[in-house]
Amino acid sequence: MRAHRDYRLAALGVAVVVCALLAGCTSRGTPNHGATREITDDAGRRVSLPARVDRVVSLAPNLTEIMFAVGAGNRLVGRTSYCDYPPEAKAVAEVGDTLHPSLERIIALKPQVVLVSTASQLEVFTNQLQSQNIAVYVTDPHDLEGVFRSIEQIGEIVGNKDQANSLVQKLRERTNTVAQAVQQKTPVRVFYQVSAEPLFTAGHDSFVTDLMRRAGGASVTADVPGAWPRYSNESALAARPEAIILPTGGSMGTANAQVAEALRQSPAVLHGRVYKINDDLLARPGPRAVDGLEEMARALHPDAFPK
Amino acid sequence: MISNTSETIASPARRNRVTLRKTVLACAVLAALLVLAIVLMSLLGSEPLPLRASLCALASFGTSACGLSQDQFDILFQIRLPRILLAAAVGGSLATAGAGYQALLRNPLAEPYLLGISNGAAVGTMIALVFFGAMEWTRPILAFSGALVATFAVYRLARGRAGATPERLILAGVIVTTFLSSVIVFVTVMMDATRIRSFTFWLLGDLSGASKALLPVTIVVAIAGTLALTLNARSLNLLMLGERDAFDLGVEVGRVRIVVFLVASLLVGSSVAASGSVGYVGLVVPHLARLSLGSDNRISIPAAALGGALFVIIADTVARTIIAPRELPVGAITALIGAPLFIYLLRRV
Repeated sequence: MRAHRDYRLAALGVAVVVCALLAGCTSRGTPNHGATREITDDAGRRVSLPARVDRVVSLAPNLTEIMFAVGAGNRLVGRTSYCDYPPEAKAVAEVGDTLHPSLERIIALKPQVVLVSTASQLEVFTNQLQSQNIAVYVTDPHDLEGVFRSIEQIGEIVGNKDQANSLVQKLRERTNTVAQAVQQKTPVRVFYQVSAEPLFTAGHDSFVTDLMRRAGGASVTADVPGAWPRYSNESALAARPEAIILPTGGSMGTANAQVAEALRQSPAVLHGRVYKINDDLLARPGPRAVDGLEEMARALHPDAFPK
Repeated sequence: MISNTSETIASPARRNRVTLRKTVLACAVLAALLVLAIVLMSLLGSEPLPLRASLCALASFGTSACGLSQDQFDILFQIRLPRILLAAAVGGSLATAGAGYQALLRNPLAEPYLLGISNGAAVGTMIALVFFGAMEWTRPILAFSGALVATFAVYRLARGRAGATPERLILAGVIVTTFLSSVIVFVTVMMDATRIRSFTFWLLGDLSGASKALLPVTIVVAIAGTLALTLNARSLNLLMLGERDAFDLGVEVGRVRIVVFLVASLLVGSSVAASGSVGYVGLVVPHLARLSLGSDNRISIPAAALGGALFVIIADTVARTIIAPRELPVGAITALIGAPLFIYLLRRV
């Protein structure tokens, strides 16, 4: 008799719990709460996002710049220690640097989307965030078109599509102006020095290689595999570049302000065609990349741009 | 059997003569191989050079271009040859230092990289780079200091009441290595983010920065260090019997210990300052020298120096040609060859 009552009590308890769970599920499933949309990122992943995105964490300086440029800077709730532009970005909470972000700080900020710049260490990172219902959107531009696509996509993510499109349109116009100016010019054979010792350069997969082409240059390392390959000193010497670009003076500070020893006798150095350009304009595939493009084009073809 | 008996009853003077002859012969063969390697490896690189003209220019010691264009001449004499000479100096230094530590600590596993001494030198070099970036000459000095501090730390940690047992030594090496690795991580984090990639590359051992100023220093240190340890080789032989026995046989144990510590730290310091931490050279090369020539330090130390030079020259040629025009850090190649070879040696012995 006693055992029988216990059994009925237990059954009642189970029923209550199941009902509560079902109720919870149905209320969570109602359309007004969780309308989602899907968007494909640069890693080819289907990312599902809530209809309205109010809280975003950016894990790269270029993505932070894009957020502000599409008018969604006020919805950025987290950024890396490298994100220093625009100045307003510095008021946003830091979550570590690009390679070592603090996962728990990101989760504590309750973002709906985390923007990351490459597919590196994605798997562990994404799994942890997705278990917290946080979407991860990967950007990986290999050329200026890819940068424009990042801007449009981020505009779409935050629902500022028009602003993003008009920004891209303006950037395209400036890009076209450069293209017309250098159209008739013979491409200048250029070497892009990422660092002198050891020698790193921009390879086939880097968007800077595309920027150089658009600026009326021909990168002597355009066919080297990878984005930022370690390059042989003797190949650099043998390449005899007519111009050298030193990205320096921005986040680099005074680093990379000297031409590598192997290039000291190159035609570029002998003819004084070594150009220092703010590395933040060239190393960040964001809106300011077009500033970098213009500076590079003016350096490579000064006569194409009358004052 | 007969030859064995005659050797045991031979006079010490005669035995010394035999050793000397064996040393000279082994070193002559290795030196000839080294010269051959320097010539052959300087013909290989990411840029093809005309064979005949290059050989002719090398034979003239750079006094004649032999029809090479200015660029080809510069590639050969300004880039390849300095790098190969640096590889030789670094390889010789690390192998000699390894042989020295192994004899002094009576442990075949003692190696600058595995004991954390290379890491000590790396910390010193990084401090020089961060705080005295413009003053290149501070790098070998601080690297030497770092190596010396790490050496003493390992030695002190390894010496228990029962003396420095092999287990204690390896444990001490692990502790010093991991501690200094975290110091390195700490310094890199504090450093400029944009330079981290260059530093990680350098940490794995990279010979591309064959700086004009440091190259002669590295070569001179390698030769002087090898000579200094070879001159102490007799004492090291006796030390291998144990410090107590060596002392009874008239070895000034304290003096020899300090000489080996100083010289080996200097060798490690100068090579790390020039090229980062190239691992396994100090382990594999002295082992090969002892396996093929016997454990007499009078032979094995100079042979290890020449063999180390050969080993790193070949490893670096692989590093700079295998994915040309891109490059790998030479440390990755030496570890790739060194670790399996070491396992093989361990199983054989």
